[in-house]
Amino acid sequence: MPRRPVVQKEYTLGERVYLVEIAKGLKLTWKHFLFNIKASFRQGPHTVPTCWQYPEDRREIAPIFRGAHMLKLNDRGQELCVGCGMCARACPAKCITVKRGKPAEGEEEKYAGKTMSVVFEVDMLRCIFCGNCEKACPKGAIVLGQDYELAEYEPALCIYDKERLLANFQKAKAEGRLKPPPKPIPVDAPPPKKKVAAKANMAVKAGRKQGVEKQPNEQKDKETS
Amino acid sequence: MADWQIELIKVVFIWAWALIIAVVMTWVERRASAMMQDRLGPNRAGPFGLLQPLADGIKLFTKEDIIPERARKILFVLGPPLFALPAFSAYAVIPFGDKIVIGGKEIILQVSDVNIGFLFILALSAIAVYGLVIGGWASNSKYSILGGLRATAQLISYEVPMGLALLTIVLLDGTFSLREIVLQQQGTFLGFLPNWGFFKQPLGFIIFLVAAYAEANRVPFDLPECESELVTGYHTEYGSMRLGLYLFGEYVNLVTLSAITVCLFFGGWSLPYVDMSKFLGPVSYGIASFFVFFFKQAFFLFLFVWVRWTVPRFRYDQLMGLGWKALIPLGLVNLFITALLVQLTT
Repeated sequence: MPRRPVVQKEYTLGERVYLVEIAKGLKLTWKHFLFNIKASFRQGPHTVPTCWQYPEDRREIAPIFRGAHMLKLNDRGQELCVGCGMCARACPAKCITVKRGKPAEGEEEKYAGKTMSVVFEVDMLRCIFCGNCEKACPKGAIVLGQDYELAEYEPALCIYDKERLLANFQKAKAEGRLKPPPKPIPVDAPPPKKKVAAKANMAVKAGRKQGVEKQPNEQKDKETS
Repeated sequence: MADWQIELIKVVFIWAWALIIAVVMTWVERRASAMMQDRLGPNRAGPFGLLQPLADGIKLFTKEDIIPERARKILFVLGPPLFALPAFSAYAVIPFGDKIVIGGKEIILQVSDVNIGFLFILALSAIAVYGLVIGGWASNSKYSILGGLRATAQLISYEVPMGLALLTIVLLDGTFSLREIVLQQQGTFLGFLPNWGFFKQPLGFIIFLVAAYAEANRVPFDLPECESELVTGYHTEYGSMRLGLYLFGEYVNLVTLSAITVCLFFGGWSLPYVDMSKFLGPVSYGIASFFVFFFKQAFFLFLFVWVRWTVPRFRYDQLMGLGWKALIPLGLVNLFITALLVQLTT
């Protein structure tokens, strides 16, 4: 495609005098000025449309936001975590420490499974909030919540122990900010149909894998398709 | 009260008043620019952020005062006051109200009614440029010196059109005294327009306004201190209250320039079609004239801010071209026509 020639626009007299154009510009800024002045007299949070004044105004967080971790309890108040350590393995940042143990005598009621986690620590300084632990957990016990103000005065406080993780869950439950259950992935849905072009593509890929000498073949494929 | 006491009160009052307006202007500038750009601006210190200038002042005063090692120390120190002082002194000849009668004594609301009026102001504004040039030279930094050089180039391109525009006013009113110019603008012109310089000299007003923006170093002519190219130009190397004096002198300059605009082209303290002195008492008339003057001045102060956040900066050569090729011929034509009309009508 030939490149279009650059045409330098001739300015009209009005544009060369500047004043008319400046007046137009003044009108535009005045419009914004008036709009924002009116907006700043509105009541309530988030008055000027483009500004969230952070400590007072907060944006609404998406329900699948990945924030601070929490350990879930089931409806009877039992810990869901069985201490299997799948989350620790799935974690790319190696920030989760889990130690499995058996519940002490007489405390079996506190746990949903037969085993439990004796130690469960999440190092928030290392965590990258990828959500892999959440996906790996067979019991759905560890979940990333919606808290995002995670600053502390000391690094040691950033290592969340089990009590804190459980407390996070209690707090989120009390405030009604629990994550909705994940959408079930349809198992027996029909595989998406692809057109003939896709097949040709696959053939091309196969050709590349096998080597350079297959190239003429590839061209034929293209012609037929 | 003795005369000298009254004079002293006037001096102190007008000095403080110009300072207060300049301080509030820094706040207005920041909030209004924010509103024009869909932001909020400083709104934390005090109600609506009104104490922000105070906080800035405290910050500037308590900062370390640094003079660069390779700077020319005497000139470096001399720069900021040389820029700020003329701006303050120019306010002395501006009539900021008509007159007020207290205890049978008539007090003219003007520090001194010099008969050379705005020649004095023009001279002072030319001196103020020395502040920029000396500051830029003494800093011994490439950005500063470029800013200083641009200030001089700007001076020679705006001073002449400004003088030409002001000469037409002198021709019309036959005086240099600002108070008498204002007094002559009362009444009506052609029967229905207010007898203002703006209606008699629209072209002169436009030339004067453009030159005033160049003199105040404001966008679109803020070449000596363009942040994007010269890192704020002539005051790059300045810090603490020396920098504060530069910034502050600029706003005082704005206040003075708007006051001159009001005096010369918008009838000073007088309201159009209404003679306030007829139905107001002597004291209240003085106060009312003061506030009428202030509101007119406030409009031009806001116009400075408004234009700043609308128009992009002119290039260096564009400003020279505008000054020499457009404004000076226009000013000369305007002067010629005015002279002809004055000669024919009188």
